[in-house]
Amino acid sequence: MTKLETTNVMTIMKTRTSIYHLLLAVCFTLCCTAGLRAQENREISGTVKDAATGTPLTGVSVRVNGKSQATATDASGRFALQAAQGDVLVFSYLGYRTQEITVGTSASYTVGLQPAEAEELGEVVVTALGIERKTRSLSYATQQLSADQLDEVRDNSGNIMNSLSGKVAGAVITPAATGPGGAARVVLRGNRSISGNNNALIVVDGVPIDNSSNPQANSTFNSYGGSDGAANLNPDDIESVNVLKGATAAALYGSRAANGAIVITTKRGKEGKLAIDYNGGVSIDQPNLLMDFQNTYGRGNGGEAGATAGESWGAPATTYPDNVRSVFRTAATVNNSVNLSGGTENMQGYASYTNNHNAGILPGNDLDRNTLNLRVNNTFFSKLTTDAKITYLNQKISNKPRLGDTGTPMGIYIMPRDMSEAELRDFEGTDPVTGEPTRKYWTTSSIFDNPYWDLNRTSVNEERNRVTLLGSASYQLTDWLRVLARYSFDRYDDKETGRYYNGTVSLGSVQPGGQYYETYNVRSERNIDVLISGDNKLSGDFSLTYNLGGSVLNRKSNSLQNMANGLSIPNQFNLSFATTPAFNNVSIIERELQSIYGSAQLNFRDYLYLDVSARNDWSSTLPSPHSYFYPSVGLSAVLSDALSLPEWVSFGKVRASYTEVGNDAAPYLLDQLYNFSLGAGQGFVSRDLTRAISNLKPENTQAYEVGLDWRFFNNRLGIEATFYKTNTINQLLYIGLPLASGYSQQYINAGNIENKGIELQLNGTPIRGERFSWTTYVNFSRNVNEIIKLSDQSNRADLSTSTRLASVVAVEGGSYGDLYGYAWEKDANGNHLVNDAGLPIVKANTKIGNFNPDFLLGWGNTLSYGQFSLSFLIDGRVGGEMVSGTDSFLGAYGLGDYTAQYRDGGLILPGVKADGTPNTTAIDAQKFWTAVSQNGRDAWGEFFTYSTTNFRLREASLGYEFPLNGGAFKRAQVSLTGRNLFFLYRGKSTLDIPGMQRRTIPIDPEAALGIGNYQGVEAGLLPSVRSFGLNVKLSF
Amino acid sequence: MKKLFLIAFAASFTLSCTDNFKELNTNPGKLTEAGAREMPFMFSRAQSAAAMDRSFYQTVQNLGADLYAQYYALSVTSFQTDRYVLTPDWQRRFWTVVYANTAPQLKAIIENAAPASGEQALANILWVYAFHRLTDHFGPVPYFQAADPVEQIPYDNQEAIYDDFFKRLDQAVADLKALGSGTQVFQGFDLMYNGDVNNWILFANTLRLRLALRIAQVSPDRAQQEAEAAVASGVLTNNGQNASLAKSLKGNDTHGLAQTAAWNEFAMSSTIASYLKGYNDPRLGRYFQPDVTNGQYNSLRNGLPPSALNNPRNNSSQNSNIGTYWVTWSASSSAWTPNLEARQHVMSAAEAWFLRAEGALNGWNMGAAAQECYEQGITASLTQWGADETAIRAYLTSTALPAAPGDTENSPAVAATPIAWAADESTRREQIGVQKWLALFPDGMEAWAEFRRTGFPKMYPVVQSDNADLPSGTFIKRLPFPIVEENNNAGELAKGRALLGGPDNAATSLWWDVNE
Repeated sequence: MTKLETTNVMTIMKTRTSIYHLLLAVCFTLCCTAGLRAQENREISGTVKDAATGTPLTGVSVRVNGKSQATATDASGRFALQAAQGDVLVFSYLGYRTQEITVGTSASYTVGLQPAEAEELGEVVVTALGIERKTRSLSYATQQLSADQLDEVRDNSGNIMNSLSGKVAGAVITPAATGPGGAARVVLRGNRSISGNNNALIVVDGVPIDNSSNPQANSTFNSYGGSDGAANLNPDDIESVNVLKGATAAALYGSRAANGAIVITTKRGKEGKLAIDYNGGVSIDQPNLLMDFQNTYGRGNGGEAGATAGESWGAPATTYPDNVRSVFRTAATVNNSVNLSGGTENMQGYASYTNNHNAGILPGNDLDRNTLNLRVNNTFFSKLTTDAKITYLNQKISNKPRLGDTGTPMGIYIMPRDMSEAELRDFEGTDPVTGEPTRKYWTTSSIFDNPYWDLNRTSVNEERNRVTLLGSASYQLTDWLRVLARYSFDRYDDKETGRYYNGTVSLGSVQPGGQYYETYNVRSERNIDVLISGDNKLSGDFSLTYNLGGSVLNRKSNSLQNMANGLSIPNQFNLSFATTPAFNNVSIIERELQSIYGSAQLNFRDYLYLDVSARNDWSSTLPSPHSYFYPSVGLSAVLSDALSLPEWVSFGKVRASYTEVGNDAAPYLLDQLYNFSLGAGQGFVSRDLTRAISNLKPENTQAYEVGLDWRFFNNRLGIEATFYKTNTINQLLYIGLPLASGYSQQYINAGNIENKGIELQLNGTPIRGERFSWTTYVNFSRNVNEIIKLSDQSNRADLSTSTRLASVVAVEGGSYGDLYGYAWEKDANGNHLVNDAGLPIVKANTKIGNFNPDFLLGWGNTLSYGQFSLSFLIDGRVGGEMVSGTDSFLGAYGLGDYTAQYRDGGLILPGVKADGTPNTTAIDAQKFWTAVSQNGRDAWGEFFTYSTTNFRLREASLGYEFPLNGGAFKRAQVSLTGRNLFFLYRGKSTLDIPGMQRRTIPIDPEAALGIGNYQGVEAGLLPSVRSFGLNVKLSF
Repeated sequence: MKKLFLIAFAASFTLSCTDNFKELNTNPGKLTEAGAREMPFMFSRAQSAAAMDRSFYQTVQNLGADLYAQYYALSVTSFQTDRYVLTPDWQRRFWTVVYANTAPQLKAIIENAAPASGEQALANILWVYAFHRLTDHFGPVPYFQAADPVEQIPYDNQEAIYDDFFKRLDQAVADLKALGSGTQVFQGFDLMYNGDVNNWILFANTLRLRLALRIAQVSPDRAQQEAEAAVASGVLTNNGQNASLAKSLKGNDTHGLAQTAAWNEFAMSSTIASYLKGYNDPRLGRYFQPDVTNGQYNSLRNGLPPSALNNPRNNSSQNSNIGTYWVTWSASSSAWTPNLEARQHVMSAAEAWFLRAEGALNGWNMGAAAQECYEQGITASLTQWGADETAIRAYLTSTALPAAPGDTENSPAVAATPIAWAADESTRREQIGVQKWLALFPDGMEAWAEFRRTGFPKMYPVVQSDNADLPSGTFIKRLPFPIVEENNNAGELAKGRALLGGPDNAATSLWWDVNE
């Protein structure tokens, strides 16, 4: 390892793989050799007290980390043991937060342990680059969640990010409604980037992981939602999650953390005998919520029955109220996880295996995930510690649902109300000549198939193999200087196959014989960093800690597709049968980021902390000199230590910080690109629709943050508050160009987006008794976004090219996420205008909503009584709108309960004609809903806009901990869980049409087609899922 | 030692490690040049796009002009365009076809190819072909700055655009004629004539003739001058010269009409049924095929309300789909199989003859008398669709008149236009209009344009209009500008709207549409 210390980083970068592999090999080899005993032990003594009351604590376990020395405090709280300078003493005590101190030159220490329920106080959190910091010293907001808070009540998607909902102040979690394996959008403190990524960075054990998502919906047109990197995280391996919300928190991770970071620490082995933990759960998942249908009228139009009509505008008929529900299944999800951990003082190991089977509510849609995790920590010569981890994941998602305006769920929703289950299941015949299935559908359609055809005769399956390697070695150069070298490699290979039987129309262009394709997506990310950390006592009152590091990050992605559209032997789904084999290069990405960074913290008497950091990045995606720099500064003051405060104040801190974060761009934007595509003749070349920008500049975010953290009444009541303001300037911004330019968009550097907001967390323990206790927390956050400046060329940028239902646009003076579409026009007096046919006159490009909530609320509770504990979380969002394409289809097809009104006419829309006279023309429901829905896909947005305000019982669990005395089991816990149980309130339609009741949003207000910036418009989402589960935890 | 390390460490970063960044930031899967090597591929792209490729055929042409030309009527309720309800997103799609998929490619060729080269000439001809279809849908459109990377692009009035069309075609033909005989341009890439310059000259002149007649009412002198020049230079005269486009299963380049027909959401319109059935037209069985339920040539009216579409007689299965050139029915699988590689019709000699017939009636020198041109047009079209000489002779002298098509609306015969050359000029003009419309099939875009200009053929009004701007009994005149122009080109859009001379809706007539 000595070689590594002195290796010039430059060399590391140049020699590439050989060194990394050598490093890894060394780590692994060393894992298997025994370390040597440390020298220079001397006696260290001290006292352990309750930090809040000052009472000495008896029986506190004290041990030297990584060594065999251990003792316990006596009746007066005193301890003594042998330890060397630089050793870490670990103090643990039931009901108190474990604390570590590093042995310095002093031989005596006084340690204050914090009561466990005031966890955050002395809490050590993992911050940027895996550097552990005491929360009290941080000048920015973080929020820590334990594994129990995340892995007990699980989301059907299998994506742990969805478990953050309601628990983190300021986090807007939007799951893509794509079933198991679905991606999740995690936005902290509002959207900063107009065209770019707004998702928080995910960091595992100090290293960012690839969380890129496969293609996400950018219109309501049908599509398969891609999974993301976070969906691969195994909840059972997670020790804790720390959410670094602001740009400050993440300055050291660089650009990708400008949107905050979710820092995940995974489990590691512990010294001691072999321990085995088992965690198993089953849950039953079913649609939480389906829309309200009319159950009076059957197939037809104009009130007359029509046997081959697709709509339900016919005559009264025998209807089947549960026909839609009958397609969805009650699915069973099973999780099994076992882990082993143990080790000696010098070597600890952790191994786990987890199997997740998540079943979607659409038949055949399953996720199977196997995760194998191995981690070894070693200590050598007392100065060298290593950490090596390998995680292997295999994940299969079968029958991914196609969402969107002609997807499978929409195909289910639009079935006529008088369609029986039997008729619906009659989805195919057999070709007597070929024996192949033939498509049956109840009406002529170029855009829909019978949902059972979709489910049985089309399938998209995805398999991912992912390997994540992490190796790090840390060497204590002197008692005040440490060097850490770290290598991480994350690679996954996706193989997606698509099969569409001959005759499928809903995909658009399945050529004769059927369609088959294989898409290969290989992504890798390699990060090497070296970090030097120092800790110096400057004088009696001052100490300085500092880090200096450098890193090289390479990211590659290559996506290739073999397409067989048209099969010579029908429905033989293999490339061999392609009538016209085609190879598509879907996308290639390769980029490199080189960075150096440094941070320093000046500590005055452990109550005043000054932080500064600086970073310079060189990105391959920017024009020469590729370079950008950004600094940060922060201040934290623990007033309760600095000042003499009343007894009832247990802790008080104020903090402030200022941060800048730079950002590079996507690759390949500098030169004008031309695309090759297959076609007649010898193929086509066309100019790319994105205009190149040769003078691209890096983006810059400036963030201010102030906050406070106070605890009262012996830590039984706590309040944390943060106010922040961020401005993102020089945005890498896509703006639309006129259609006639032949470009759909161009990248420019412009803009100033401002986010201002507040985050509040209250927590308390109203009751703390012998047998009964109640702890509760409330999270509140509000973010206000303003687009102060867009660009000199344009005051409007479209965030999507789709104009169906609504466009998501950024307008100068507006806020991010504004939705524009057709709205019912009004005259000067505010009367709605109606045309001679008695129908609304509409105006295009009118603001009809914004997809961001005004504020978020979460209320969590844990009630314990003896061995029982009951937890529940209610959370809600207030404000925000969504334009529902699902609803426009329900209107267009005469399916929604509201379409039963005015079937026979008599609807006189309140409004005036162009000449100002009141409208007197009566119309019927079909005329009205057909007109405003424009047949569903191209509806006038305002008529289908809903408030996304909602409150729901997000999670509930009832657990029982078996009282154990000895025996094989160390712990046994059983819990009943429920997730997404019911809505307390759901938003209503925003347009009030007198004579019609306000409708309730027919889909989950928080779900989305995808996790990109195309939000607030949906069509054909899967219903959200309600889960009931049983969970067992056993420790041996 | 520690200091040394720190220094080395810092130094390593001040040295440039970014030498390979330029290479890293070059996408190996894309091209960064549009030079001589790429030009032929760009021409292919433009050709396929301009004639509506698979991705755009349905929404841009089939559910629009093809219905407005009353070749087909919609038999399903999923779309409303047959009742003149417009879908704004589809107007945007037409602009995408021309401005994004066609114009940048042609502009690159025009700018980079040698002056007066064959490549430049072909690109200019295709440019006119693409843009005339666009401007004839919308009126004033951004033209002179099309495909320029600028933030605002002005609209140009149609007269100026047409003037430029004629200039480009004139120059292109002159340049092509100056090339050595037998010169091939874009051979292996030209999807229409495989680089045959002579055919391109005929195509360009016929296009010029088409455009000349388009402005015959509004700018008669210019029209005559351009038409005579075109004919003198040589237009399409026989079917061997017809323009059609190669299609392929590769990529997304299949035959758009065939694909759309396989979806079977439209069927023969009663308007064309009235003519074809009444005339005992040999083309009936080529343009359409018997319905799959009863084996009849059945039709339905345009603009049927949803309740009328409940009637099984108005379903696709009881009406005639287009002919077996495009789709075939498989009874065993109960499905249509599209002929996805069939060549796509672009322009025929018959049209040139009918244009000359009308020109001759105008008193222009068309190289032949009106009647001769008219009868040559019929002959060419019937021959093109497989009729034999006997049938053609019988047709030319037929006394048959359009008939009641036998639809659910009990529609009477749509008109009383005879086939045999009539004595009076107004009937002759109508005859030319009807026969040209029949011969143009399935080019609904050109047929709709000429219907608006001439009023021929007579058509049934749509049964129901759901467009408040187009009251019952009126016909659609144009398409409104795409609404996305309000986002990205708002200032110029306002000026463009002012050039229209009427509101930006579907009822405002275009510059050349002065016939009422």
